[in-house]
Amino acid sequence: MISSVIRQLSAERKKTRRRRIWLVPLGFLSFDALWMAWQLSHIKAGELADGYLMLFYQLPIMNTIVLPLMIAVIASRLNDMEIKGDTLKLLYTLQQPSSFFDCKYLSGVKYLFFFTAGQCAMILAAGQMWGFKNPLKIPMLFCHLAVTLSTGMILFAIQQTLSLISSSQIMPLVVGLAGSFLGLFSLFFPAPLARLVPWGYFAAFPCVKMDWDVDTRITCFYETPFPLHAFLAFAAAGIIIYILCRTITQKKEV
Amino acid sequence: MSSVIMTDSLTKQYGKKTVVDHLDLKVPAGSIYGFLGPNGAGKSTTLKLLLGLIKPTGGSIRILGREVNPKNRLDILARTGSLIESPAYYGHLSGRENLRVICTLKDVPVKEIDRVLGIVRMTGQQDKKVSHYSLGMKQRLGLAAALLGNPDLLLLDEPTNGLDPAGIQEMRNLVCSLPEQYGITIIVSSHLLSEIDQMATHVGIIDQGQLIFQDTLSSLHEHSKSRIVFSTDDDKAALKVLKQANIPVGISEKRLVLRAQKDAVVAEAAAALVHSGIGVLRIYEQQMSLEDIFLQLTGKQVSL
Repeated sequence: MISSVIRQLSAERKKTRRRRIWLVPLGFLSFDALWMAWQLSHIKAGELADGYLMLFYQLPIMNTIVLPLMIAVIASRLNDMEIKGDTLKLLYTLQQPSSFFDCKYLSGVKYLFFFTAGQCAMILAAGQMWGFKNPLKIPMLFCHLAVTLSTGMILFAIQQTLSLISSSQIMPLVVGLAGSFLGLFSLFFPAPLARLVPWGYFAAFPCVKMDWDVDTRITCFYETPFPLHAFLAFAAAGIIIYILCRTITQKKEV
Repeated sequence: MSSVIMTDSLTKQYGKKTVVDHLDLKVPAGSIYGFLGPNGAGKSTTLKLLLGLIKPTGGSIRILGREVNPKNRLDILARTGSLIESPAYYGHLSGRENLRVICTLKDVPVKEIDRVLGIVRMTGQQDKKVSHYSLGMKQRLGLAAALLGNPDLLLLDEPTNGLDPAGIQEMRNLVCSLPEQYGITIIVSSHLLSEIDQMATHVGIIDQGQLIFQDTLSSLHEHSKSRIVFSTDDDKAALKVLKQANIPVGISEKRLVLRAQKDAVVAEAAAALVHSGIGVLRIYEQQMSLEDIFLQLTGKQVSL
């Protein structure tokens, strides 16, 4: 069983040769780094004390904008080769469709891990470079990692399904792009409506909140308890979404 | 001879439409089984059913002596190779890299790649990107992928589709050589009678999802009773004379055809024509073509 999974993952790795998929998360990480540098270079020295809090508040919003698109692009790069080459009818004689979906998913999610780990490393690096006075709270970093990864993984399952069931990759990419906008707008939706938008969940479990005083025009970041129960409910819904996506893909006749 | 593939009342319905209708296939070991039928007859659906790519509505499948179910499907298919409809490939990879992916999935040693590339005569093109291959090369690569792991059974769905005449000839020669050299049983589907005639040892004919004939190719040819054709200088008058003489005769494809084959009847017909002063230009025996046989079996004209 394990050797079979390893073989299938190895096959997935061999398929991605010359696809340069690593460039996608690297590109988005570079964009993040530029944005962070610009942001931190334009704030007052006094505000830098709470630099970590500011990043933990702003990065989830940034992720809401850029990650849906990045995930759509990675899923498309990984799956369009199967559609273009009409390979599913061959692969399904060598591996179970469910197993194919799982291994394809795992091979895609590694890029998301890479991006998220890279983003966390950039937060640490920014703290060192700009000399944030207030110390980094490690649980906060883990919460950021968990929320980014789990939301990204759910979106990846959706994008992978769309890429595998569509004959053209235009539709999945448009969905990814639309998801970026919808996710951002969902931050201003009433809560019950916002819950229906999976692209908005990057910023739905904040550890940090912001208070902006209109009169003094001073922005103040403060800690807030992590909504653990809501997050666990979201993760459970994510598992259901994954199973649903896998079932949809399996039902597609090849 | 034992059967490598046996189906019992294999049926596939899409809504109310029955695409494969109670099919009882028997593919003998070591044979090249030509699976023949017009476009849309249910050939590809049947092959996909055999490979478990689609679920049957009813019936059962035995492959290599084992009844196929979702649990053992991959175990059984590990001893088979397939090439269904168009070839499957990764265009951004070279031919060799494509085969390496399949090797990994089939869990066969990489050295197998050289063997199968040799069989399909593609050693020289193995490092070229597959997106730059011609269709014929892609088909041969597909066949090479199917041959990885030395399978006992090959399922080929219209392997010559879209190939030029040279490619068709090459693929045909390849397919024909496999049972003898490697002991592989092959089921090959086609809508071209002539192709099956040149490749197969056994034939199954499917029409509208139903198997209307299944036996050896020679047995199919036995169906092709020959007929005697008379060529005269006035076929209309000849027909009249022969009918008056109570000789079973008719016009088929604008030719005067005798419906009996006994020498005595042929002699009697020739004498009647000569005595009537009709010039007999030629008398010859004509075998029924496979098209004629198909027509006889299905009772209708099809585009083949």
